[in-house]
Amino acid sequence: MSSLVGFLSLVFAIGINFYLFLSGYIFKFQIQKFNLLIRFSSLLTLLSFFSLMYAYLVSDFSNYNVFQNSHSNKPLIYKISGTWGNHEGSMLLWLSILSIFSFFFSFTKNIDENFQRLTLIIQSLLHILFGLFIVFTSNPFLVNSILVNEGLGLNPILQDPGLAVHPPILYAGYVGYSIVFSIAIAGLFQDTDVEWLYVAKKWSLISWTFLTGGIALGSYWAYYELGWGGWWFWDPVENISLMPWIAGLALVHSLMMVRGEQAIKKWIIFLSILCFSLSVFGTFLVRSGILTSVHSFAADASRGIFILLIFFIVTGFGFLIFLLKEPQKSNALNLLFINKVSALVINNILMIIATLTILLGTIYPIIIEVLYNKRISVGGPYFNSTVIPIMIPGFLLMSIAPILSWQTNKIQNSKKYVLGFIVLSILVLIHSYFLDYNTWGFVGLLLGFWIILASIIAIFSTYKFKFTIKFFQIINPHIAHIGVGIAIVGITCSSVFQNELDFNLNEGDEFNVNGKTVLFEKIETTNQINFQALRGKFLFDIEKNQSKKIEAGKNYYPVSKMITSEAGILHQWNKDIYFILGDQKNNEWFVKVLINPFVSFIWLGVIIMMYSGLIAVSRR
Amino acid sequence: MSRIFILTPLIVLLIICIFSLAYLLSGKDPNKPPSALLNKDVPIFESSSLYNSKNVIKTKDIKNKKTLINFFASWCSPCKIEHPLFFEIRKKHPELYLLGFNHKDPTSDAKKYLEDDGNPYHFVGVDSDGLIALEFGVFGLPETYLLNEDGVIIYKYMGPITKDILKNEIEPLL
Repeated sequence: MSSLVGFLSLVFAIGINFYLFLSGYIFKFQIQKFNLLIRFSSLLTLLSFFSLMYAYLVSDFSNYNVFQNSHSNKPLIYKISGTWGNHEGSMLLWLSILSIFSFFFSFTKNIDENFQRLTLIIQSLLHILFGLFIVFTSNPFLVNSILVNEGLGLNPILQDPGLAVHPPILYAGYVGYSIVFSIAIAGLFQDTDVEWLYVAKKWSLISWTFLTGGIALGSYWAYYELGWGGWWFWDPVENISLMPWIAGLALVHSLMMVRGEQAIKKWIIFLSILCFSLSVFGTFLVRSGILTSVHSFAADASRGIFILLIFFIVTGFGFLIFLLKEPQKSNALNLLFINKVSALVINNILMIIATLTILLGTIYPIIIEVLYNKRISVGGPYFNSTVIPIMIPGFLLMSIAPILSWQTNKIQNSKKYVLGFIVLSILVLIHSYFLDYNTWGFVGLLLGFWIILASIIAIFSTYKFKFTIKFFQIINPHIAHIGVGIAIVGITCSSVFQNELDFNLNEGDEFNVNGKTVLFEKIETTNQINFQALRGKFLFDIEKNQSKKIEAGKNYYPVSKMITSEAGILHQWNKDIYFILGDQKNNEWFVKVLINPFVSFIWLGVIIMMYSGLIAVSRR
Repeated sequence: MSRIFILTPLIVLLIICIFSLAYLLSGKDPNKPPSALLNKDVPIFESSSLYNSKNVIKTKDIKNKKTLINFFASWCSPCKIEHPLFFEIRKKHPELYLLGFNHKDPTSDAKKYLEDDGNPYHFVGVDSDGLIALEFGVFGLPETYLLNEDGVIIYKYMGPITKDILKNEIEPLL
């Protein structure tokens, strides 16, 4: 029953969008009526999504999708997240988020009526394309042809609270760019004023913030669930999310130039189209199953071709209109040796180069396999040795960019910065001389700390501290950059200065980690509701009274016969001690201990960046 | 000049789409890497029967006849989907030797599975520790291999075989 409701409301919603797309622009009925219809179709799409969720909640195995991906033993949260833990459901989630964005956009005030209508018509077109994709190739409401009273279960690796919320947030980022895309296309048709640039800025900030959160959650999940001790693997699916993220960052920055009346409309529109294109391209790569990764899902060629077609239509349509309806000449750029405009232009160029480098590395295996029928994979070494050097000048620039002037070459308080940089360089050099010297470590630490220091100098020497919202809005760019600096320090330390220790242990053995004695208490197996847990129990720092308990082990999921690893992590502010329980051989357990310094800084940096994103939304 | 710049994204788009389309249409599946064993001799193996551990099958036993090897398990739901097709194959091609390898399965579960769904195989070998699958380079269950009379692997399919695959890819080789 719920499946029927879900399917009908989905079809009805697509129908309304068809009507809006065909008649909305031709007959130009009142904007109020138009907005009402848009909201109605959004609610219908959501109703469809929640019907599917309901089917999951009540374990309605007469729905084929629920049968394939759920099990009545699953805890409630994974019944809910099971809704999007599969291809069909996740596409419906995609569409629902698109609808939510249209819904909220229809409430935008202070924007030209026709402009708003045009933007929403383009949203409708996207809704139709993806809606048809769902109905014809990925229908989550199919009826199960056999009568069953139990389902096949959700992929155990997805049974994790972090991963339950990761897809919706990531999708909110991806799909948020649909609004930016639609605004940009509308801007090409109705290039009247710059008002729409402010609207585009808000929405691109919202999308970017969501995307940041989504990527961070995914990477945090990989950190503790995959049990490899790393948090970024240059996995194709990670790269796919990184591309719109960097392009989106470029977009947000080039939208800043609106304030300096230096906006290059053409470039902004290009980036807006690019961001959404990359999002759709990412959806295509993941959903067609064309790439192998931890995210591989069952592939079906017809789906791949359909979504490739959507990608082609959307991107081709966007760039074709861009070609035909070139925006009017905007103001000439006030490029000086070092002013805000030139800094922003350099930043944009670097980010686009980085995006293209990642794009090349991601699609290269596809091209090679088509041409030479050989399988290669492009991994960490390529990306580390190309993307990171490209970003370094940008990092250097961002430390002072926010205080540069729009019009002149002058830097306020330039002496303070020079002095600060010299002192910092000496400190970092001394530090790395006494620790193992490592070039990447040195560069990373210097850059990270320099960004933090320069931003702090900038805040205190330029503005007077006041505890008001306005003050926090003004210093927001600096705060964002401090977040980046903290993240760079975390990234550098956890990757360059990671320490790995291997042990073969019996129960009851004591061993030494980082000068602290650790006791390997025992191995314990317990039966949980939907899995069996094998845990090695460790006591960290047994000499102290408050020794810390660490559990590392594996989970066995009988329904899907899968084993997942569960790392045991002791979080300290300056390092994570990361325990991995390996296999048992000759009565000895293999235990790997990784010491990851300053990992928490990465997450802290990300949180600060997201905070800045939100503050920036509130500022005009 | 600037026209060329604006045209670039469209050209890049076209190139990406053409290659992706070529990839999709070539029927390649990233989950199915080109097999290293294709057109090579079948790996050397030895396995005892599920029903009688004294009854052993070795590599040389399957030479001189076309053989279809299928890796399956009771816990593998896609195996259940392809299972009925093996009865069809056996009926249509009685000369073909059907060898099933039961992969990482408790004996009782495997027996029950073949009891419930029927046993289409001429011989069911046990691969409880998955070593035979390792030799064959099995990626995931189910997997099916077709061997010619000389014991050379002439075809390999990962995932459940379907009627189409049977008709268009396996039968022409028989």
